[in-house]
Amino acid sequence: MRALIVDDSRLARNVLISVVFKAGITQADQATDGIEAVEMASRNNYDIIFMDWNMPNMKGIDAVKAIRELDKKTPIMMVTALADPAQINEALKAGVNNYLLKPFKPEKAAAKIEETLALFSQTKKAEIA
Amino acid sequence: MRPAAMKMGDNDYFTTVRLLQNSSNSIKAEYINPFIESVKNLFETMLNCQVVREDIALTTRIPPTLDIVALIGLSGCIRGNVAMAFPVKTALAMVSRAYRSQIVVVDSMVIDAVAEFVNIVAGGAQASLNQDVKVPVDLTIPTVIRGNRFQMEYPSMAAWIEVPFSSELGPFTIRISIHKKDNN
Repeated sequence: MRALIVDDSRLARNVLISVVFKAGITQADQATDGIEAVEMASRNNYDIIFMDWNMPNMKGIDAVKAIRELDKKTPIMMVTALADPAQINEALKAGVNNYLLKPFKPEKAAAKIEETLALFSQTKKAEIA
Repeated sequence: MRPAAMKMGDNDYFTTVRLLQNSSNSIKAEYINPFIESVKNLFETMLNCQVVREDIALTTRIPPTLDIVALIGLSGCIRGNVAMAFPVKTALAMVSRAYRSQIVVVDSMVIDAVAEFVNIVAGGAQASLNQDVKVPVDLTIPTVIRGNRFQMEYPSMAAWIEVPFSSELGPFTIRISIHKKDNN
């Protein structure tokens, strides 16, 4: 499985990469801002995208909207330190499927990622049936 | 009422309250606790480390005693700045713990990590600050300042609440200068 990790912080990307490998993902591409994320999402097929919120050049929510406009149905998890319910709701409306709040315990984050992938897979099967 | 998280001696507490009341910035004590809790959460969750909060103080300038300062701005109805200041040794210990690898030099990786730490602390406090406000708080991209010969002063006479911490990774301080805009 292939993931795209979007965060302007190298530490944040590094931490998340170790977590996604625990969740069964085998390849992790990286983007450092929303513009790069949209460009990579348009060129590649990812099984899941992890999007930071507070980034230079293009904020995470704008990148999510742009990716959804590409008609990409890839599950997107918002990864953010911004624990505000209003912003999380805004993200879900923009097309985010789930979220991870920083800082996170690796085991809990891996479980949440697996849960998101499983749910997305079930939804996809239901749509095909 | 004394906030539960502010465990100070009586004299310190009342002195700080007087300073807060006299401060032109009207920093409220309830704006400080979310940052203290967020620091604890960062250290316990991400760095597997307990922290101990030391005595809180009010200051009008950041003295040139700490080597790395990570600054993040808040805007919206509650606005101001939050700074995390570390001696180099503490910063290296924190980043080494985060990367699970020995980091011995302050380079771009360390600067990036320190910026992420202040981003997490401010983000963690944001939800509490956004309660009961009309315009939500937004965060700037963090700025990191290096060196031990600089002095930061605030011409607007803003006051900073200084919250020192100690930990097994070393001492550090967070400084908070925020206030709520009227009618928000």
